[in-house]
Amino acid sequence: MSSHREAPEISKDPVADSSDLYAFVSPDAPDTVTIIANYVPLQLPAGGPNFFEFGDDVLYEIHIDSNGDARPDLTYQFRFRTELRNNKTFLYNTGPIDTLDSVNWNRRQFFSVTRIDAHGKATVLAAKLACPPCNVGRLSIANYDKLASDAVHKLRTGEKVFAGQRADAFFVDLGAIFDLGTLRPFENKHLIGQKLFNYAGKAVNATNKLNVHSIAVQLPLSSVRRDGKKKVRGRDPGAVIGVWTSASRRQVQVRDGDAKHDDVQVGPQVQVSRLGNPLFNEVIVPMAQKDRWNSLPPSDDKLFAGFVEKPELASLLPVLYPGLFTNLAALDKAGTPRADLVAILLTGIPDGLIPEFQNSTGATQADMLRLNTVVPPSKTENAFGILGGDLAGFPNGRRIADDVVSISLRAIAGATFPLVDAKFKPDAAAGLVEQGLSIKNVSGGLLKHFPYLGTPFDGFDNPS
Amino acid sequence: MSRVHRARPVSRLSRRKVLTIAASVGVGATAVSVAGLSLAAETPEAAAAGALVVSVRDPKKGTLDVFSGGVKRTVTDKKLAAQLAKAAHG
Repeated sequence: MSSHREAPEISKDPVADSSDLYAFVSPDAPDTVTIIANYVPLQLPAGGPNFFEFGDDVLYEIHIDSNGDARPDLTYQFRFRTELRNNKTFLYNTGPIDTLDSVNWNRRQFFSVTRIDAHGKATVLAAKLACPPCNVGRLSIANYDKLASDAVHKLRTGEKVFAGQRADAFFVDLGAIFDLGTLRPFENKHLIGQKLFNYAGKAVNATNKLNVHSIAVQLPLSSVRRDGKKKVRGRDPGAVIGVWTSASRRQVQVRDGDAKHDDVQVGPQVQVSRLGNPLFNEVIVPMAQKDRWNSLPPSDDKLFAGFVEKPELASLLPVLYPGLFTNLAALDKAGTPRADLVAILLTGIPDGLIPEFQNSTGATQADMLRLNTVVPPSKTENAFGILGGDLAGFPNGRRIADDVVSISLRAIAGATFPLVDAKFKPDAAAGLVEQGLSIKNVSGGLLKHFPYLGTPFDGFDNPS
Repeated sequence: MSRVHRARPVSRLSRRKVLTIAASVGVGATAVSVAGLSLAAETPEAAAAGALVVSVRDPKKGTLDVFSGGVKRTVTDKKLAAQLAKAAHG
Protein backbone atom coordinates (compact mmCIF):
# COMPACT_ATOMS: atom_id res chain seq x y z
CA MET A 1 0.00 0.00 0.00
CA SER A 2 1.04 3.62 -0.11
CA SER A 3 1.98 3.58 3.54
CA HIS A 4 -0.84 1.70 5.22
CA ARG A 5 0.71 -0.57 7.86
CA GLU A 6 4.03 -0.16 6.08
CA ALA A 7 6.33 -0.88 9.01
CA PRO A 8 6.20 -3.51 11.75
CA GLU A 9 5.77 -1.23 14.75
CA ILE A 10 3.38 1.31 13.27
CA SER A 11 1.19 -1.49 11.91
CA LYS A 12 0.28 -2.13 15.54
CA ASP A 13 -0.56 1.50 16.16
CA PRO A 14 -3.12 2.46 13.50
CA VAL A 15 -4.18 5.67 15.22
CA ALA A 16 -0.72 7.08 14.53
CA ASP A 17 -0.21 5.36 11.18
CA SER A 18 0.03 7.79 8.28
CA SER A 19 -1.28 6.07 5.19
CA ASP A 20 -1.31 8.65 2.41
CA LEU A 21 -0.09 12.17 1.84
CA TYR A 22 -1.33 14.42 -0.92
CA ALA A 23 -0.07 17.87 -1.92
CA PHE A 24 -1.39 19.72 -4.95
CA VAL A 25 -2.27 23.16 -6.19
CA SER A 26 -5.97 23.36 -5.45
CA PRO A 27 -7.90 22.96 -8.72
CA ASP A 28 -10.74 25.24 -7.61
CA ALA A 29 -8.50 27.73 -5.82
CA PRO A 30 -5.21 27.78 -7.77
CA ASP A 31 -3.64 30.41 -5.55
CA THR A 32 -3.61 27.85 -2.75
CA VAL A 33 -2.03 24.49 -2.02
CA THR A 34 -3.97 21.66 -0.43
CA ILE A 35 -2.20 19.14 1.75
CA ILE A 36 -4.00 16.06 3.03
CA ALA A 37 -2.52 13.59 5.49
CA ASN A 38 -4.45 10.40 6.07
CA TYR A 39 -4.28 8.38 9.26
CA VAL A 40 -6.08 5.44 10.88
CA PRO A 41 -6.17 3.36 7.69
CA LEU A 42 -8.33 0.42 6.62
CA GLN A 43 -11.45 1.36 8.57
CA LEU A 44 -14.43 -0.90 8.12
CA PRO A 45 -17.41 1.47 7.93
CA ALA A 46 -19.45 -0.69 10.31
CA GLY A 47 -17.02 -0.10 13.14
CA GLY A 48 -19.42 0.51 15.99
CA PRO A 49 -20.00 0.99 18.77
CA ASN A 50 -16.48 2.41 19.09
CA PHE A 51 -16.11 4.14 15.79
CA PHE A 52 -12.73 5.28 14.56
CA GLU A 53 -11.12 8.48 15.75
CA PHE A 54 -7.83 10.33 16.00
CA GLY A 55 -5.61 9.71 18.99
CA ASP A 56 -5.87 12.24 21.80
CA ASP A 57 -2.38 11.09 22.75
CA VAL A 58 -0.86 11.58 19.29
CA LEU A 59 0.72 14.74 17.90
CA TYR A 60 -0.06 14.96 14.19
CA GLU A 61 2.03 17.29 12.07
CA ILE A 62 2.25 18.50 8.50
CA HIS A 63 5.64 19.96 7.61
CA ILE A 64 6.66 22.18 4.73
CA ASP A 65 10.24 22.83 3.71
CA SER A 66 10.62 25.88 1.50
CA ASN A 67 14.39 26.22 1.28
CA GLY A 68 15.53 22.71 0.44
CA ASP A 69 17.30 21.81 3.67
CA ALA A 70 14.76 19.08 4.49
CA ARG A 71 13.89 20.82 7.74
CA PRO A 72 10.48 22.37 8.30
CA ASP A 73 10.06 26.06 7.62
CA LEU A 74 6.39 25.79 8.40
CA THR A 75 4.66 23.16 10.51
CA TYR A 76 1.01 22.71 11.33
CA GLN A 77 0.31 20.71 14.45
CA PHE A 78 -3.00 19.04 15.14
CA ARG A 79 -3.97 17.83 18.61
CA PHE A 80 -7.21 16.06 19.35
CA ARG A 81 -9.43 15.85 22.36
CA THR A 82 -12.38 13.56 22.84
CA GLU A 83 -15.41 14.49 24.90
CA LEU A 84 -18.24 12.35 26.20
CA ARG A 85 -21.66 13.85 26.76
CA ASN A 86 -23.17 10.89 28.51
CA ASN A 87 -21.24 8.38 30.58
CA LYS A 88 -24.31 6.21 31.16
CA THR A 89 -24.57 4.80 27.67
CA PHE A 90 -22.51 2.46 25.53
CA LEU A 91 -23.71 4.20 22.41
CA TYR A 92 -21.77 6.51 20.07
CA ASN A 93 -25.02 8.34 19.46
CA THR A 94 -28.34 8.08 21.25
CA GLY A 95 -30.42 9.45 18.39
CA PRO A 96 -30.03 11.07 14.98
CA ILE A 97 -27.10 13.46 14.56
CA ASP A 98 -28.12 16.42 12.47
CA THR A 99 -25.70 19.06 13.67
CA LEU A 100 -22.15 19.12 14.99
CA ASP A 101 -23.47 20.07 18.43
CA SER A 102 -26.28 17.54 18.47
CA VAL A 103 -27.14 16.39 21.98
CA ASN A 104 -27.59 12.91 20.53
CA TRP A 105 -23.92 12.66 19.62
CA ASN A 106 -22.22 11.18 22.63
CA ARG A 107 -18.59 10.88 21.69
CA ARG A 108 -17.30 13.94 19.93
CA GLN A 109 -13.80 14.91 18.95
CA PHE A 110 -12.28 18.37 18.69
CA PHE A 111 -8.91 19.58 17.52
CA SER A 112 -6.53 22.45 17.89
CA VAL A 113 -4.27 23.86 15.20
CA THR A 114 -0.85 25.25 16.01
CA ARG A 115 1.42 26.86 13.44
CA ILE A 116 5.16 26.80 13.94
CA ASP A 117 7.26 29.12 11.83
CA ALA A 118 10.81 28.73 10.58
CA HIS A 119 12.15 30.18 13.82
CA GLY A 120 10.28 27.70 15.96
CA LYS A 121 7.70 30.19 17.14
CA ALA A 122 4.42 28.43 17.88
CA THR A 123 1.07 30.14 17.46
CA VAL A 124 -2.19 28.45 18.40
CA LEU A 125 -4.49 29.32 15.48
CA ALA A 126 -7.56 27.55 16.81
CA ALA A 127 -8.22 25.84 20.10
CA LYS A 128 -11.36 23.81 19.68
CA LEU A 129 -12.59 22.95 16.21
CA ALA A 130 -15.19 20.27 15.67
CA CYS A 131 -14.54 17.07 13.78
CA PRO A 132 -17.51 15.50 12.01
CA PRO A 133 -18.83 12.23 13.37
CA CYS A 134 -18.04 8.93 11.72
CA ASN A 135 -20.56 7.97 9.08
CA VAL A 136 -22.54 5.61 11.27
CA GLY A 137 -25.43 4.98 8.91
CA ARG A 138 -28.41 6.63 7.29
CA LEU A 139 -30.62 6.30 10.36
CA SER A 140 -28.14 8.05 12.57
CA ILE A 141 -26.99 10.65 10.07
CA ALA A 142 -29.44 11.61 7.36
CA ASN A 143 -27.26 14.27 5.75
CA TYR A 144 -23.63 13.42 6.26
CA ASP A 145 -22.35 15.82 3.63
CA LYS A 146 -23.91 18.75 5.47
CA LEU A 147 -22.18 17.75 8.71
CA ALA A 148 -18.85 17.30 6.95
CA SER A 149 -19.25 20.64 5.24
CA ASP A 150 -19.91 22.30 8.58
CA ALA A 151 -16.66 20.76 9.83
CA VAL A 152 -14.60 22.65 7.27
CA HIS A 153 -13.17 25.55 9.22
CA LYS A 154 -11.81 28.77 7.80
CA LEU A 155 -9.27 30.21 10.20
CA ARG A 156 -8.81 33.91 10.76
CA THR A 157 -5.25 33.52 9.51
CA GLY A 158 -6.49 32.38 6.10
CA GLU A 159 -6.13 28.62 6.25
CA LYS A 160 -8.93 26.15 5.65
CA VAL A 161 -8.74 23.06 7.85
CA PHE A 162 -10.64 19.83 8.19
CA ALA A 163 -10.06 16.79 10.33
CA GLY A 164 -12.29 13.77 10.23
CA GLN A 165 -13.41 10.62 8.52
CA ARG A 166 -13.25 10.33 4.71
CA ALA A 167 -13.45 7.58 2.14
CA ASP A 168 -10.02 6.21 1.37
CA ALA A 169 -9.29 7.14 -2.25
CA PHE A 170 -6.07 5.19 -2.52
CA PHE A 171 -6.40 2.32 -4.93
CA VAL A 172 -4.19 -0.71 -4.91
CA ASP A 173 -4.47 -4.43 -5.61
CA LEU A 174 -2.96 -5.36 -2.30
CA GLY A 175 -3.91 -9.00 -2.35
CA ALA A 176 -2.06 -9.55 -5.60
CA ILE A 177 0.97 -7.32 -5.10
CA PHE A 178 2.03 -8.88 -1.84
CA ASP A 179 1.41 -12.36 -3.18
CA LEU A 180 4.91 -12.51 -4.61
CA GLY A 181 4.60 -9.32 -6.61
CA THR A 182 1.71 -10.38 -8.78
CA LEU A 183 -0.07 -7.85 -10.96
CA ARG A 184 -3.31 -9.47 -12.04
CA PRO A 185 -3.22 -7.95 -15.57
CA PHE A 186 0.13 -9.72 -15.96
CA GLU A 187 -0.47 -12.74 -13.75
CA ASN A 188 -0.03 -15.16 -16.63
CA LYS A 189 3.44 -13.71 -17.22
CA HIS A 190 4.48 -14.15 -13.58
CA LEU A 191 7.17 -16.67 -12.70
CA ILE A 192 4.76 -18.80 -10.69
CA GLY A 193 1.53 -17.34 -12.01
CA GLN A 194 2.19 -18.59 -15.54
CA LYS A 195 1.80 -22.08 -14.16
CA LEU A 196 -1.54 -21.18 -12.60
CA PHE A 197 -3.15 -18.80 -15.08
CA ASN A 198 -3.50 -18.97 -18.83
CA TYR A 199 -5.02 -15.53 -19.13
CA ALA A 200 -4.63 -12.07 -17.66
CA GLY A 201 -6.71 -11.23 -14.61
CA LYS A 202 -8.62 -8.17 -13.56
CA ALA A 203 -7.26 -6.06 -10.73
CA VAL A 204 -9.17 -5.63 -7.47
CA ASN A 205 -9.03 -2.46 -5.38
CA ALA A 206 -8.32 -3.81 -1.91
CA THR A 207 -8.93 -0.46 -0.20
CA ASN A 208 -12.29 0.17 -1.80
CA LYS A 209 -15.15 0.92 0.58
CA LEU A 210 -12.80 1.52 3.47
CA ASN A 211 -12.44 4.77 5.34
CA VAL A 212 -9.57 6.79 6.77
CA HIS A 213 -9.22 9.80 9.01
CA SER A 214 -7.94 12.82 7.11
CA ILE A 215 -6.23 15.99 8.22
CA ALA A 216 -6.53 18.52 5.44
CA VAL A 217 -5.26 22.05 5.22
CA GLN A 218 -5.49 24.57 2.41
CA LEU A 219 -2.96 27.39 2.43
CA PRO A 220 -2.16 30.38 0.26
CA LEU A 221 0.75 29.54 -2.04
CA SER A 222 2.59 32.60 -0.82
CA SER A 223 2.55 31.28 2.73
CA VAL A 224 4.46 28.13 1.82
CA ARG A 225 6.96 29.54 -0.65
CA ARG A 226 10.40 30.72 0.27
CA ASP A 227 10.30 34.36 1.33
CA GLY A 228 6.53 34.37 1.05
CA LYS A 229 6.54 35.28 -2.61
CA LYS A 230 3.20 35.60 -4.33
CA LYS A 231 4.70 35.19 -7.77
CA VAL A 232 7.73 33.20 -8.78
CA ARG A 233 8.98 31.66 -11.98
CA GLY A 234 8.75 27.93 -12.38
CA ARG A 235 12.52 27.63 -12.69
CA ASP A 236 13.05 29.55 -9.46
CA PRO A 237 14.14 27.22 -6.62
CA GLY A 238 11.69 29.14 -4.45
CA ALA A 239 8.82 27.71 -6.48
CA VAL A 240 9.34 24.27 -4.97
CA ILE A 241 8.24 23.05 -1.57
CA GLY A 242 8.88 19.77 0.19
CA VAL A 243 6.07 18.26 2.24
CA TRP A 244 5.85 15.44 4.75
CA THR A 245 3.68 14.41 7.66
CA SER A 246 4.59 12.85 10.95
CA ALA A 247 2.93 11.47 14.05
CA SER A 248 4.54 11.43 17.45
CA ARG A 249 3.82 10.05 20.88
CA ARG A 250 5.15 10.89 24.31
CA GLN A 251 8.30 9.02 25.20
CA VAL A 252 6.80 7.68 28.42
CA GLN A 253 3.38 6.26 29.01
CA VAL A 254 2.24 4.84 32.34
CA ARG A 255 -1.02 2.93 32.22
CA ASP A 256 -3.02 2.99 35.41
CA GLY A 257 -5.38 0.23 34.44
CA ASP A 258 -8.34 1.44 36.45
CA ALA A 259 -10.77 4.29 36.34
CA LYS A 260 -9.33 6.22 39.26
CA HIS A 261 -6.58 7.95 37.36
CA ASP A 262 -5.86 8.91 33.80
CA ASP A 263 -2.93 7.34 32.05
CA VAL A 264 0.20 9.41 32.27
CA GLN A 265 2.05 10.56 29.17
CA VAL A 266 5.16 12.63 29.69
CA GLY A 267 8.46 13.43 28.10
CA PRO A 268 9.46 14.61 24.66
CA GLN A 269 7.48 13.69 21.60
CA VAL A 270 8.95 10.69 19.82
CA GLN A 271 8.18 10.33 16.13
CA VAL A 272 6.53 7.01 15.33
CA SER A 273 5.28 7.59 11.79
CA ARG A 274 6.43 9.60 8.79
CA LEU A 275 5.31 9.91 5.20
CA GLY A 276 6.52 11.88 2.20
CA ASN A 277 6.53 10.07 -1.11
CA PRO A 278 4.09 7.19 -1.35
CA LEU A 279 5.66 3.75 -1.09
CA PHE A 280 9.06 5.01 0.07
CA ASN A 281 9.13 3.25 3.41
CA GLU A 282 6.86 0.52 2.13
CA VAL A 283 8.85 -0.60 -0.90
CA ILE A 284 12.28 1.02 -0.77
CA VAL A 285 13.35 0.60 2.86
CA PRO A 286 14.13 -2.95 4.07
CA MET A 287 11.81 -4.29 6.74
CA ALA A 288 14.59 -4.35 9.32
CA GLN A 289 14.98 -0.57 9.01
CA LYS A 290 11.41 0.58 8.49
CA ASP A 291 10.74 1.38 12.14
CA ARG A 292 13.97 3.34 12.33
CA TRP A 293 13.06 5.26 9.19
CA ASN A 294 9.74 6.19 10.75
CA SER A 295 11.56 7.67 13.76
CA LEU A 296 13.92 9.89 11.77
CA PRO A 297 13.47 13.24 10.03
CA PRO A 298 13.83 13.58 6.25
CA SER A 299 17.12 15.38 6.78
CA ASP A 300 18.60 12.00 7.77
CA ASP A 301 17.47 10.21 4.63
CA LYS A 302 20.97 10.08 3.18
CA LEU A 303 21.20 7.01 5.40
CA PHE A 304 18.70 5.30 3.12
CA ALA A 305 19.94 6.63 -0.23
CA GLY A 306 21.61 3.32 -1.02
CA PHE A 307 18.24 1.60 -1.09
CA VAL A 308 17.02 4.14 -3.63
CA GLU A 309 20.13 3.81 -5.78
CA LYS A 310 19.73 0.02 -5.89
CA PRO A 311 16.10 -0.76 -5.11
CA GLU A 312 15.30 -4.35 -4.26
CA LEU A 313 12.19 -4.30 -6.43
CA ALA A 314 14.26 -3.49 -9.55
CA SER A 315 16.17 -6.70 -9.05
CA LEU A 316 12.99 -8.69 -8.41
CA LEU A 317 11.05 -7.63 -11.51
CA PRO A 318 13.25 -9.50 -14.02
CA VAL A 319 13.00 -12.60 -11.84
CA LEU A 320 9.26 -12.41 -11.26
CA TYR A 321 8.45 -11.67 -14.89
CA PRO A 322 10.94 -13.74 -16.91
CA GLY A 323 11.94 -12.28 -20.24
CA LEU A 324 10.05 -9.01 -19.82
CA PHE A 325 12.73 -6.91 -18.14
CA THR A 326 15.99 -7.88 -19.79
CA ASN A 327 17.29 -4.32 -20.10
CA LEU A 328 16.46 -3.68 -16.48
CA ALA A 329 18.28 -6.86 -15.52
CA ALA A 330 21.35 -5.63 -17.37
CA LEU A 331 21.12 -2.30 -15.59
CA ASP A 332 20.85 -4.09 -12.27
CA LYS A 333 23.80 -6.29 -13.11
CA ALA A 334 25.94 -3.30 -14.05
CA GLY A 335 25.31 -1.94 -10.55
CA THR A 336 24.63 1.51 -11.91
CA PRO A 337 23.12 3.69 -9.18
CA ARG A 338 19.59 4.75 -10.07
CA ALA A 339 20.16 8.47 -10.28
CA ASP A 340 16.67 8.83 -11.76
CA LEU A 341 15.06 7.44 -8.63
CA VAL A 342 17.32 9.52 -6.41
CA ALA A 343 16.11 12.61 -8.24
CA ILE A 344 12.45 11.62 -8.10
CA LEU A 345 12.43 10.57 -4.45
CA LEU A 346 15.30 12.33 -2.69
CA THR A 347 16.29 15.60 -4.38
CA GLY A 348 13.60 16.46 -6.89
CA ILE A 349 13.93 16.56 -10.67
CA PRO A 350 16.44 19.22 -11.70
CA ASP A 351 15.87 21.75 -14.45
CA GLY A 352 16.78 20.53 -17.92
CA LEU A 353 15.65 16.91 -17.75
CA ILE A 354 11.99 17.48 -18.54
CA PRO A 355 11.01 20.43 -20.75
CA GLU A 356 9.55 23.34 -18.79
CA PHE A 357 9.75 21.53 -15.48
CA GLN A 358 11.79 21.14 -12.33
CA ASN A 359 10.96 20.35 -8.75
CA SER A 360 14.43 20.18 -7.31
CA THR A 361 15.05 21.18 -3.72
CA GLY A 362 18.82 20.99 -4.05
CA ALA A 363 21.46 18.54 -2.99
CA THR A 364 20.06 17.48 0.37
CA GLN A 365 18.74 13.96 0.02
CA ALA A 366 15.39 13.68 1.73
CA ASP A 367 12.13 11.86 1.17
CA MET A 368 9.68 14.69 0.73
CA LEU A 369 6.73 15.11 -1.57
CA ARG A 370 8.04 17.88 -3.80
CA LEU A 371 5.67 20.29 -5.45
CA ASN A 372 6.53 23.00 -7.92
CA THR A 373 3.82 25.43 -6.90
CA VAL A 374 3.95 27.34 -10.16
CA VAL A 375 2.62 24.43 -12.24
CA PRO A 376 -1.10 25.10 -12.56
CA PRO A 377 -3.71 22.40 -12.04
CA SER A 378 -4.41 20.34 -15.14
CA LYS A 379 -7.78 20.72 -16.78
CA THR A 380 -7.63 17.05 -17.72
CA GLU A 381 -5.66 15.00 -15.26
CA ASN A 382 -3.52 12.10 -16.41
CA ALA A 383 -3.31 9.45 -13.69
CA PHE A 384 0.29 8.72 -14.70
CA GLY A 385 1.29 12.27 -13.80
CA ILE A 386 4.61 13.36 -15.20
CA LEU A 387 5.10 9.97 -16.88
CA GLY A 388 1.85 10.67 -18.71
CA GLY A 389 2.93 14.19 -19.70
CA ASP A 390 0.89 15.85 -16.94
CA LEU A 391 3.31 18.07 -15.02
CA ALA A 392 0.75 18.79 -12.28
CA GLY A 393 0.78 15.17 -11.12
CA PHE A 394 3.03 12.85 -9.17
CA PRO A 395 5.95 13.08 -8.68
CA ASN A 396 5.22 16.78 -8.80
CA GLY A 397 3.30 16.69 -5.56
CA ARG A 398 0.56 14.11 -5.53
CA ARG A 399 -3.07 14.40 -6.50
CA ILE A 400 -5.72 12.09 -5.16
CA ALA A 401 -6.36 10.37 -8.49
CA ASP A 402 -2.72 9.82 -9.40
CA ASP A 403 -1.91 6.14 -9.86
CA VAL A 404 1.19 6.27 -7.72
CA VAL A 405 1.53 2.49 -7.64
CA SER A 406 1.79 2.19 -11.41
CA ILE A 407 3.96 5.30 -11.72
CA SER A 408 6.36 3.92 -9.13
CA LEU A 409 6.37 0.51 -10.79
CA ARG A 410 7.23 2.00 -14.15
CA ALA A 411 9.93 4.22 -12.69
CA ILE A 412 11.55 1.35 -10.81
CA ALA A 413 11.24 -0.82 -13.92
CA GLY A 414 13.46 1.65 -15.73
CA ALA A 415 11.03 3.93 -17.54
CA THR A 416 12.63 7.02 -16.01
CA PHE A 417 16.27 6.01 -16.32
CA PRO A 418 16.63 7.70 -19.74
CA LEU A 419 16.25 10.99 -17.87
CA VAL A 420 19.79 10.49 -16.64
CA ASP A 421 21.15 8.17 -19.35
CA ALA A 422 19.78 8.82 -22.82
CA LYS A 423 21.46 5.67 -24.13
CA PHE A 424 19.39 3.40 -21.92
CA LYS A 425 16.46 1.78 -23.66
CA PRO A 426 13.74 0.78 -21.21
CA ASP A 427 12.06 -2.58 -21.68
CA ALA A 428 8.74 -2.37 -23.46
CA ALA A 429 7.14 -3.76 -20.33
CA ALA A 430 8.43 -0.79 -18.29
CA GLY A 431 6.13 1.48 -20.23
CA LEU A 432 3.20 -0.89 -20.05
CA VAL A 433 3.29 -2.24 -16.53
CA GLU A 434 0.43 -1.07 -14.37
CA GLN A 435 -1.70 -2.39 -11.59
CA GLY A 436 -4.89 -2.14 -13.62
CA LEU A 437 -6.79 0.24 -11.36
CA SER A 438 -7.77 3.89 -11.39
CA ILE A 439 -9.75 6.33 -9.30
CA LYS A 440 -12.83 4.84 -10.99
CA ASN A 441 -12.26 1.78 -8.83
CA VAL A 442 -12.93 3.92 -5.74
CA SER A 443 -16.67 3.59 -5.29
CA GLY A 444 -17.30 6.77 -3.37
CA GLY A 445 -15.87 9.26 -5.82
CA LEU A 446 -14.27 12.57 -4.93
CA LEU A 447 -15.45 16.05 -4.06
CA LYS A 448 -14.67 18.94 -6.38
CA HIS A 449 -13.86 21.15 -3.42
CA PHE A 450 -11.94 21.05 -0.17
CA PRO A 451 -11.30 18.56 1.41
CA TYR A 452 -11.68 16.72 -1.93
CA LEU A 453 -11.74 13.19 -0.49
CA GLY A 454 -15.16 11.64 -0.78
CA THR A 455 -17.90 11.06 1.75
CA PRO A 456 -16.95 8.20 4.04
CA PHE A 457 -18.73 4.93 3.46
CA ASP A 458 -21.47 4.49 6.02
CA GLY A 459 -21.86 1.50 8.27
CA PHE A 460 -25.46 0.68 7.42
CA ASP A 461 -24.94 0.38 3.69
CA ASN A 462 -21.47 -1.14 3.93
CA PRO A 463 -21.88 -3.74 6.65
CA SER A 464 -19.00 -5.96 5.58
CA MET B 1 -7.59 4.32 31.34
CA SER B 2 -7.12 6.65 28.46
CA ARG B 3 -7.87 10.31 28.73
CA VAL B 4 -11.41 10.90 27.54
CA HIS B 5 -13.15 13.93 28.83
CA ARG B 6 -16.67 14.73 29.86
CA ALA B 7 -17.89 17.77 28.03
CA ARG B 8 -19.26 19.48 31.08
CA PRO B 9 -18.54 20.29 33.72
CA VAL B 10 -14.89 20.68 32.84
CA SER B 11 -13.16 18.57 35.41
CA ARG B 12 -9.62 18.90 36.65
CA LEU B 13 -7.30 16.15 37.59
CA SER B 14 -5.91 16.26 41.06
CA ARG B 15 -2.23 16.87 41.50
CA ARG B 16 -0.42 13.60 41.35
CA LYS B 17 2.95 12.09 41.10
CA VAL B 18 3.68 8.99 39.13
CA LEU B 19 6.62 7.85 41.10
CA THR B 20 5.97 8.84 44.66
CA ILE B 21 9.12 7.18 45.80
CA ALA B 22 11.11 9.75 43.87
CA ALA B 23 9.67 12.59 45.82
CA SER B 24 10.01 10.80 49.11
CA VAL B 25 13.71 10.28 48.69
CA GLY B 26 14.40 13.82 47.59
CA VAL B 27 14.22 14.62 43.94
CA GLY B 28 15.10 18.18 44.86
CA ALA B 29 18.62 17.54 43.74
CA THR B 30 17.33 17.06 40.23
CA ALA B 31 15.52 20.41 40.25
CA VAL B 32 12.33 18.86 38.91
CA SER B 33 9.09 20.27 40.21
CA VAL B 34 5.58 18.88 40.08
CA ALA B 35 2.95 21.29 38.88
CA GLY B 36 -0.83 21.12 38.65
CA LEU B 37 -2.52 19.87 35.52
CA SER B 38 -5.08 21.74 33.51
CA LEU B 39 -7.16 19.67 31.14
CA ALA B 40 -7.87 22.75 29.11
CA ALA B 41 -4.24 23.15 28.20
CA GLU B 42 -3.34 23.17 24.52
CA THR B 43 0.43 23.05 24.56
CA PRO B 44 2.07 19.66 24.82
CA GLU B 45 4.15 20.70 27.78
CA ALA B 46 1.13 21.85 29.73
CA ALA B 47 -0.97 18.89 28.66
CA ALA B 48 1.36 16.47 30.34
CA ALA B 49 2.32 18.66 33.26
CA GLY B 50 1.86 17.35 36.73
CA ALA B 51 3.26 13.92 36.13
CA LEU B 52 6.83 13.01 36.75
CA VAL B 53 8.50 9.76 35.79
CA VAL B 54 12.02 8.77 36.73
CA SER B 55 13.85 6.05 34.88
CA VAL B 56 17.03 4.68 36.38
CA ARG B 57 19.12 4.10 33.31
CA ASP B 58 22.38 3.12 35.01
CA PRO B 59 22.16 2.37 38.74
CA LYS B 60 25.92 2.05 39.16
CA LYS B 61 26.68 5.43 37.62
CA GLY B 62 23.56 6.97 39.14
CA THR B 63 22.22 8.04 35.74
CA LEU B 64 18.56 9.00 35.92
CA ASP B 65 16.24 10.10 33.14
CA VAL B 66 13.59 12.42 34.53
CA PHE B 67 10.49 12.92 32.38
CA SER B 68 8.22 15.81 33.18
CA GLY B 69 5.88 17.72 30.91
CA GLY B 70 7.38 17.65 27.45
CA VAL B 71 10.95 17.36 28.64
CA LYS B 72 13.47 14.68 29.49
CA ARG B 73 16.40 15.63 31.66
CA THR B 74 19.26 13.33 32.47
CA VAL B 75 20.83 13.80 35.87
CA THR B 76 23.41 11.96 37.92
CA ASP B 77 22.62 11.15 41.52
CA LYS B 78 24.17 7.94 42.80
CA LYS B 79 22.47 8.15 46.17
CA LEU B 80 19.02 8.60 44.69
CA ALA B 81 19.62 5.88 42.12
CA ALA B 82 20.62 3.50 44.87
CA GLN B 83 17.55 4.39 46.93
CA LEU B 84 15.27 3.86 43.94
CA ALA B 85 16.92 0.55 43.12
CA LYS B 86 16.51 -0.52 46.72
CA ALA B 87 12.86 0.50 46.68
CA ALA B 88 12.27 -1.31 43.41
CA HIS B 89 13.60 -4.51 44.81
CA GLY B 90 11.59 -4.21 47.99
